[in-house]
Formats: sequence, structure tokens, C-alpha cells
Amino acid sequence: MSSLEPPVQAAEPAPEPIAGVARAPRRSSSSSSGRVLRLMEANALLVLLVLTAIFFSVWSKTGDTFLSSANLQILFSNQAVTAIIALGALIPLVCNEFDLSVGAIAGLAAVLVASALSGGLPVPIAILYGVGIGTAAGVVNCLLVTRAGVNGVIATLGMATILDGVVTQKTGGQAVVADIPKAFTDFGTGNTFGIPRVAYAMVAVALLVYYLLAHTPLGRQIYALGSNRAAAALVGMRTRLVLGVTFIAAGALSGAAGVLYVARAGGADPNVGAGFTLPALAAAFLSAASVKPGRYNVGGALVAIFFLAVLNNGLNLAGAQPYVSNYVNGIALILGVGLAAYLHRRRSGTSSAAM
Amino acid sequence: MAAPDEAMAALRLHGIAKAYGNTQALRGASLEVSRGTIHALLGGNGSGKSTLIKVLAGVVPADAGEIELGGVVHDARAQTAVRARAAGLQFVHQQDSTFPELTVAENLALGRGFETGVGGRVRWSKLHERAAKVLERFEIDADPDAELRSIGSANQMMVAIARALQDQEDAHDGVLVLDEPTARLPRHEVALLLGALGRYARAGQTIVYVTHRLDEVIRVADEATVLRDGAVVATLGRAEITRERLVELILGDAGAAIVRAADASERVVAAEQGALVLEADGLGGDGACLELRAGEVVGVAGVLGSGRTSLLRGLFGMGEEPPSGVRIDGEPADVGDCRAAMAAGIAYVPEDRTADAAFADLSIAENLSLSTLPTYTRFGRMDGREEKAGARALMSSFLVRAESEEAPLSSLSGGNQQKVILARWLQRRPRVLLLDEATQGVDVGARAEIHGLIRRAVDDGATALLVSSDFEELVAACDRAIVVRDGRVVADLPRDQLREDMLNAAVYGQERHA
Repeated sequence: MSSLEPPVQAAEPAPEPIAGVARAPRRSSSSSSGRVLRLMEANALLVLLVLTAIFFSVWSKTGDTFLSSANLQILFSNQAVTAIIALGALIPLVCNEFDLSVGAIAGLAAVLVASALSGGLPVPIAILYGVGIGTAAGVVNCLLVTRAGVNGVIATLGMATILDGVVTQKTGGQAVVADIPKAFTDFGTGNTFGIPRVAYAMVAVALLVYYLLAHTPLGRQIYALGSNRAAAALVGMRTRLVLGVTFIAAGALSGAAGVLYVARAGGADPNVGAGFTLPALAAAFLSAASVKPGRYNVGGALVAIFFLAVLNNGLNLAGAQPYVSNYVNGIALILGVGLAAYLHRRRSGTSSAAM
Repeated sequence: MAAPDEAMAALRLHGIAKAYGNTQALRGASLEVSRGTIHALLGGNGSGKSTLIKVLAGVVPADAGEIELGGVVHDARAQTAVRARAAGLQFVHQQDSTFPELTVAENLALGRGFETGVGGRVRWSKLHERAAKVLERFEIDADPDAELRSIGSANQMMVAIARALQDQEDAHDGVLVLDEPTARLPRHEVALLLGALGRYARAGQTIVYVTHRLDEVIRVADEATVLRDGAVVATLGRAEITRERLVELILGDAGAAIVRAADASERVVAAEQGALVLEADGLGGDGACLELRAGEVVGVAGVLGSGRTSLLRGLFGMGEEPPSGVRIDGEPADVGDCRAAMAAGIAYVPEDRTADAAFADLSIAENLSLSTLPTYTRFGRMDGREEKAGARALMSSFLVRAESEEAPLSSLSGGNQQKVILARWLQRRPRVLLLDEATQGVDVGARAEIHGLIRRAVDDGATALLVSSDFEELVAACDRAIVVRDGRVVADLPRDQLREDMLNAAVYGQERHA
């Protein structure tokens, strides 16, 4: 035993300087190449968006039409409704809750607002009505999740199904198009300074959500809740209240998106609501892949929305069949979720086993 | 196969040695366990008891020694978990190896595989039938189709034991090792389990029973082996097992003297120093009473399951029933929930940092500001610049070493993460700081720094309660220590008696009053 001790002691100091020498250069190299990597990571989707746009601008099949102002205006105005719904879905997603009812809420608000407008309801009140409907649905989601303890996916899936039923019952499957005030549809279809007015609405909502998430104590608490629910409770947060607010906010924004849809389309199609959910959720998930990697964020959601839109629009112009957009959205959703999970794991330093 | 010789030892350990670095955990421990007996294995912190079990289970390789099972000699250096099992050694740890949501029958089947029929279908009737037989054999009063969590914790432990032993054809084969099986059992359930163990032993089962609880040893053990400083000090026969004798052996001669001194000191209440900051009575079921003064760090010692963690959680409003009669600076304080406790001036650093305190993917600045968001809020807007400046100030004041305040918490070492958590709470200038295993998994340097930071906080007039299973830490960091048992404060060690041997004495010596 004693004969073993000296070599052990002699060997012990040796690894330390080696580790010290090896560590110093590795750290410095990782910080410079790491910065490039981080920048790439933060902007990969944005670069991809630009590259896709350039590709469709020069590709002979789409080059003529893609860059035309008419096409770009259509592109922006078509995405405004989806973007606002995506921003709605983003808020609960930050605290790891999926709201699958956002599309259905928008659809219900659209149908009810359209029929109220054709019944002569003044436009400002109709807007409040639409947002109110969304908020009410959000409150029900909030109560189901925070009070009744229903799993968020199940609660909102059930809510979506019920709301679809309400829409079909109300409309009998017929679109509501009659007597929508012209001033209202003008807002939905017109341009100001060459930019669709609905795009301004989208930017306004995006700024609002960005401010909420990035610059208010509530936003900080929403991120904390998503990071570690037990720890959030132990630093004195009202976790159920914060969680509930995210569902209510998602509902309100979806309601607003429904109103915007009526202005844009000049009516409401009873079948349109459900179709919004998937692209909106895909964008919300993909938001964690850019701008602030590993974190669901507003900038990332907008980049994701327009990446998907440009891709679909370009393929559309190239004469691709409509089903191709299903492929694109589906793949984007899976990639988005996978990428977000990967970046989150990297950021929080946990292994895949921790999932 | 020859009939087992009743007289032959079921398990014999010879000259087991194991060193961790420069620490000699086991120095040639030898012991012999007779067939069909309950053999208790005892020892204080650092006695080598846990290492011995790990060697036996093949979790850590021994440096030297032999393990003899049923007459077959194995090299202790080559022991592996698979070999231990093949040789008939079965280990049942605390309640972490069962599945509360599954039925009793399913839990039993998970140990050996499900019987399946055509198409891989589980043959439930067969499963049920066999489970019923096993339950009957082990005299467990439970329905095979009941959910495991519904049958009481002693029965759950017995199901775990039955699962380990169900394939053993003959009760005389093999050795069952139980590691602190009663640590998490409520008191009234302990008797149920001990009764069952006695029956199994009478049927010929050999049981090695590892425990801290002397009253249990006295109740069921046929023999008791005591380890101290990595060696076996004695093996007692049934007639020799008394509380005094066990305490004496666990602590050594010097320690036994200290027990008497510690007893005498129990009534010595905290010294004259600071003003009373925290007073609490009605803690736990039996009304523990606690008085903490300004400027002191009070250690909390106690074995696993003694209620030391629930003591802290209760004070922070996390207990099943909020404690009544909590006074802070003489004023009655409401600690009904976390928010109320925080408002009353209490801070709580939980035991499990990853699960209960760290926001791993958020930045250091965000981790720090979460406990004081209103400080950084102007007209509903968070002042990010001020938040980061605040974080930088806290990081330098609390010796947090990190690239920047915007780095995610997960990029820090355990010690630096813990300093961030500590800073998160201390920036609120709490009156009472509750710390549960605050330096677990933290390197030596950071540990000393954390102790220094705690000291700095109490020097400003706060008071701190520090739970640690490491007695060395309690001695290094605390002014005095209380000993907790079954949720009650059972002893109070003043500064001049705060030594590791005294703590061992107080924690184990208390057994005599049980």
C-alpha cells in the first residue's frame, strides 16, 4: 500500500497543467468559432428565407411574377391572419403549453363577426365582439387547464372540436358574405404606401406580443414557467395565474385574427378555421430556430411565417399542385419541433434522456 | 444437490478493502451471516457501511477481499451486479424500485417478465394467479389487482421484497439485503414490515438489514455487526444487543462519553448573542419548537427521513399543513404559502437545484431577477439595462464566475449555479435563510465560498437554518446545530459541542430515548 502511494502522488499534479494548457486555447477558439456558429444558428432561417426569395425571383418559371408588387402584396396580406394566430399560439407555447384551438377560435370569431356585420352591427363594436369571443374561449381554456387540471393539448383539442361544431350549426355550412360594410373590406384589401393595410395590423400585433414577452415582468414569468415550473412556484410566482393568462391571450389574438380575416375575405367561410391551426403552430415552433435560438420568440415566428409563405407562394407560382403546400407545412412542423427541442436541450445543457 | 447445511454461513465476507483516493473507506472488513437469520449492519456516517453494501452489490469494485456465498468463494474485486444476482444476492433499496401506478401483480411480473400467449398478448389470468400465489407465500395482505400505491407503504416494501425473492425456489437459498427499508415508512407501518421480516427469517430466509434505527435492530435482529472507521468493531449475538451497547460500538469509547455530555446539554438553550429572529412552534405533528437568533447559522442534522427537509418546507409554506405560531422579529408571520413566506422575509434554497431552483436555459441575469421583478419594473416595463447591471453587481458580490450575465445558467459549474441561486435570495435581504443541502455536488472551493456568503448574510442581522447530511459541513459552517427526528427537534448542540463525533452521538444517541 505504502509503496503505491508515491507514484500516485507523483502522477497527480501532472494532469492538472496539461488540462490547464489544453483548456485555454480550446476556450478561446470555441468563442470565436462559437460566435460564428451562434450567428449562423440565429439567422439560418432568415438566410434561408432570403435565398428562397432570391431563387424564386430569378427562376425562369416564377421570376416574372414573384417580385411583382401585386404578388408581394398578396403574399403579405395572405400571411397577416396566419401570423397573428401564430403569435397567439406562441404565448402559451413559451410555457410549454400547446393551444390547438387557435384556428378554431379564429374561425368562430370570423363567422360570428361576419354575420353580426351583415346584421348591421357597427364596425368598431364588431371588432370588440370578435376579440371578446376569442377571449371568452381563451378563458374557458384557461379554466380547464389551471382549475380542472385537464391536459392543455386535450382541453384545447376538445375546445377546437366543439367550436367547429358551433360554426357548422350557426352557418349550416354556408359562407357568410352578404352586406359586409365596404369600409371594413377596404381595410382588408387596400394598401397604404403600397403596403397592404392588414400587414400594418400584423406588425402592430407583433410589436405588442414582442413587448409583452420581452419587456414586461409577465413575459419574464412566462419564460420562467416554461423553463422550470417547480422552481417558478418556489420563487413565489403565481404559476396558475400566469399559465392561465397565456391561454386567454392566445384566445384574444385568435379572435382578432378572425376579425381581420373577415375584413380580408369580405366574409367568412365556415371551413376555414381549422386550416389555420397547423401552419400557425408550425411557425410558433419554428420560432425557436431563429433570432433567439432555443427560445420561442416573436421575431423567429415572423421569419418562420414568411419562410413558409415564400416557399408555398413560389411553388404555387411555379404551378405546383395545391397538395404540395401540405407537404411543406407538415415537414416544417416536424422540423420545427425537432429543431426547437434540439436547440433547447443544447441551451439547457440536458441530455436527450432528460426528455 | 446436497441439502443445505443449517450451520453453514449463508454469506461470509473476508478482508474487504476499498479506498477512494486517499480515503480508506474499508480496511479489511470481515463478517459472517448465518443462514436463516436477520443480521443487522450498523455504523455512523463514514463508517464504511454504505461502501460495504456497494461492494457486495457489485456497484463499486473492492481493492481486496473475498465474498463467500453458500460455500462458493468469489473474488470481491471482480464482483459485478450480474454476478451478485447469479450468486443469489438480492437487494431491495428504499421505495424507489416499485411502480405506484401499476397493480401489485404487474409490479411482481416486472421483476421476471410477463407471461404471454398468442400474438404476444399478456396472459392476465395467469399473471393474476401467480401474483396471488406469491402474495400468499409472502403473507402480504393485498389484492393482486390493486394499484400498488393503494396498499400502504409497508406492504409496498413487502411487494418489492417478494418481487426480489419470488423466483427463489427454496427460502434457504440466497441472501436478501435490505438497505434502510424503513427510512420512508410511517412509524405505524414499520411494525408491519418488521413482523413480516421475522416470519421470512423463521422460514429460512437470510436477511442482511442495513439501518440507522437502533430500536428496529433490537426488535428483529438475531445478530448485529457494527462498523466504525472502515472496520468491523464487533458482531453481537441476540442476547448482547442492547441500545447502550450498540451506541457504544457505533461511536467508540470517546463517543459514548460524548453522548452523556450531549444529553446533559440538551436543555441548554441558545446563547445570549443576537435578538430572536424566528420563533416557531407547532412544526410537524408533535410540535417542534425552534428559536433562531440574529447572526447565527444553525445546522440541522438528522438521518434520512427524519423530517429535516419537511421542517424547511413547512417554514416556506410548502408543507401539508402550514405551521402555526411562526413569529419573525416577534411579530406573528403568515407562512401559509411561498408568497406569504417570502413576504414575511423567508428565503428557501431547495435541496434539488436542477428540479426546484434552476432555470437552466434562462440567462444568469434572468435567473437572478425573478425573485425581485418589481425592482426592475418601471410603469409595467422591465428595465433590461438595469436588470443586467444589477446582475453584474450581484455576480461580483457573490463571486459568480461566468462569461457574462447573459450566459445561460446551465453553462455554469454546479458551485457557480448555486451561488446564483443564493444571490437570487439574498438580494431580497431575507430575515430567515433556509438552506437544504446547499453545497451538495459543489467543489471544495465553491463550498467554502458559499459558507462565507451565508455568514456574510447573517452578519447583517439575518439568521440561517442549514440542513446537511455532511456533519463536517455542519461543524464548519454553523454556530450550533439542532437534531431532528420524526419531525421533532430532539437535541440542541451549542457551539462548544459542535463536533462531528458529537453530531454522530446526538443523531444516534437519541435512539436511546425512542
